[in-house]
Amino acid sequence: MSYYFTILSPTDTPLFNIAFGTSKGGGDGIARFRFPETAQYMNQFIIHSSLDILEEAQWTNGGMYLKHIDTYPPAAAYITAFLTPSGARFLLLHQPPHLPSSTSTSSGLGSSSLLGTAGSTTRASSSSIAANPTSPQTEEAVRQFMNEVYESYVKTAMSPFYKQGMEIKSPVFRTRVTAAGKKWL
Amino acid sequence: MAAPPRHATMQSISNGSTAQGTDRPQTQQTPQAQLSQQSPGLRVPSNRKTIYDRHLNRSRNAELSRASFAFLFGEMVTYAQRRVTGIQDLEKRLNEQGYPLGLRLLDLLFYRSTSTSSSALSSSSTSSSPPNRPLRIITLLHLIHGPLWRLLFNRAADALEHSVSPDTPNEYMITDNDPMVNTYISAPRDMSMLNCAAYVAGIIEGVCDGCGFETKVSAHNQPTELWPSRTVFLVRFGDPVMEREKVLERAGVK
Amino acid sequence: MRRTRVDKVNAELVTLTYGTIVAQLCQDYDSNYQDVNKQLDKMGYNIGMRLIEDFLAKSGVGRCANFRETADMIAKVGFKIFLNVTPTITNWTSDNTQFSLIFEDNPLADFVELPDDGRAQDELWFSNILCGVLRGSLEMVQMQIEAHFVSDVLRGDDTTEMRVSLVRYIEDEMPPEEE
Repeated sequence: MSYYFTILSPTDTPLFNIAFGTSKGGGDGIARFRFPETAQYMNQFIIHSSLDILEEAQWTNGGMYLKHIDTYPPAAAYITAFLTPSGARFLLLHQPPHLPSSTSTSSGLGSSSLLGTAGSTTRASSSSIAANPTSPQTEEAVRQFMNEVYESYVKTAMSPFYKQGMEIKSPVFRTRVTAAGKKWL
Repeated sequence: MAAPPRHATMQSISNGSTAQGTDRPQTQQTPQAQLSQQSPGLRVPSNRKTIYDRHLNRSRNAELSRASFAFLFGEMVTYAQRRVTGIQDLEKRLNEQGYPLGLRLLDLLFYRSTSTSSSALSSSSTSSSPPNRPLRIITLLHLIHGPLWRLLFNRAADALEHSVSPDTPNEYMITDNDPMVNTYISAPRDMSMLNCAAYVAGIIEGVCDGCGFETKVSAHNQPTELWPSRTVFLVRFGDPVMEREKVLERAGVK
Repeated sequence: MRRTRVDKVNAELVTLTYGTIVAQLCQDYDSNYQDVNKQLDKMGYNIGMRLIEDFLAKSGVGRCANFRETADMIAKVGFKIFLNVTPTITNWTSDNTQFSLIFEDNPLADFVELPDDGRAQDELWFSNILCGVLRGSLEMVQMQIEAHFVSDVLRGDDTTEMRVSLVRYIEDEMPPEEE
């Protein structure tokens, strides 16, 4: 699984973003988007096109964690959202590894390297985080990830010098998000 | 000081070639175009402690001398007074200074109620599930009247009312019978109270706005015989909020 | 019991309000941090002049016999009452006119990260208001002192240290022409 995580201000200004790959099931934490040369722009495009749906969900579901809100089939990209009460949006795009046909246990091509030596083929069953973006396990793992990022975000926002809408440049914050990704995803 | 060419930057950050056409995985560590390059960051003490290492609940129940607050606030007002042209301007400025505090307190309140078993937001028995963001006006006002007031003043506000006039259905009032009165400030007593209240009004406005409820909040001194310092915070929601409220009402959103 | 509650306020309200003040000054002075330091010191001085009365009333202490006793009073009673911390007194000079206060905790700086602009960590003394508070309050009890921070954990230093020097004891006011 490859992830692209971004934080947007209430007015859609990007405050932070990062790409990483799965660390579960022996993953090496490196993002391998299907179309690497365009991934960065594609990811932003996909995330921004999910904002309308997010804004709708925002007023029907009062939770902070809104779970999976949108899918973009051409890129097999899934969007999961978390809203802070002060209006910042955490958006996680996940893209499962490209698998030949529909078999998830195939040893072919890209998937074998992604699973790594430690990952047995059974770990890559459809319920694992690495393979299925909408399974309850994945949603729970993303929840934990989002909560952990939220904690770091609140710490950022509590500083009197941080103003809403300011880009988050702290390398410590980035390290924290990376660690949360490693821990839960 | 021109920004380095994009490709050079990407290489230096991702520690390797991002050349297209190879099957090398793209690490994608580079922030997107709108964001500036990663900064080397601030210096930290040798124990490497930063704000991210400090638990957000550490000062949760800490108290300080009220005099300390009064002195600080007094200086804040005195300083602000020198940069404004009248009482309205002054209150606007204090309101603006309270506003970002409202946004911070909002996040802090929700963090605390998700991270601890004893919720800061409600005393309901189902406190294990995280609290909901307020979607309706009344939920939002309860959040202010209860949890926010408790965080700031260690008790709930005294009253929450809806305007009875059919012309102003968008007006709500939060009343504090005995707001933290600032007896240390050398300004006239009423005046200082109103100053302080303008700051609190800004905090309330920040909370409302943060939750997506565009609002104007003003503070008014409305003494009674029993409560000479009684202060009413008038919360006026904008038209888009009232429109949305109707839609949500129809949709059965609580 | 009731009385003590009334005299207390949520510490975070104080912390966040102080942060608001400093951030506002930085904005008003266009991040000229030297000016911000000066303004904070000035605010502290104003506070100190009024705070001493409150301090004497609350602590019930009398006049200090010497500067060492004064230092004790500042650290163990003054800071305790107003900030609920007790800085450590250290690094006395041999003539007993200069000492350092080391702050293990500083509620004013909770939650704070200085702006990452390449200058704030070299130029801004975030808690500088405290220097002014000492200067103002001691002046009211006939002591002219000088106080400044020499290190701050917010700047990446390992400690937060304030240096305090006795300049002179102020004798009862002399007519200006005799000076």
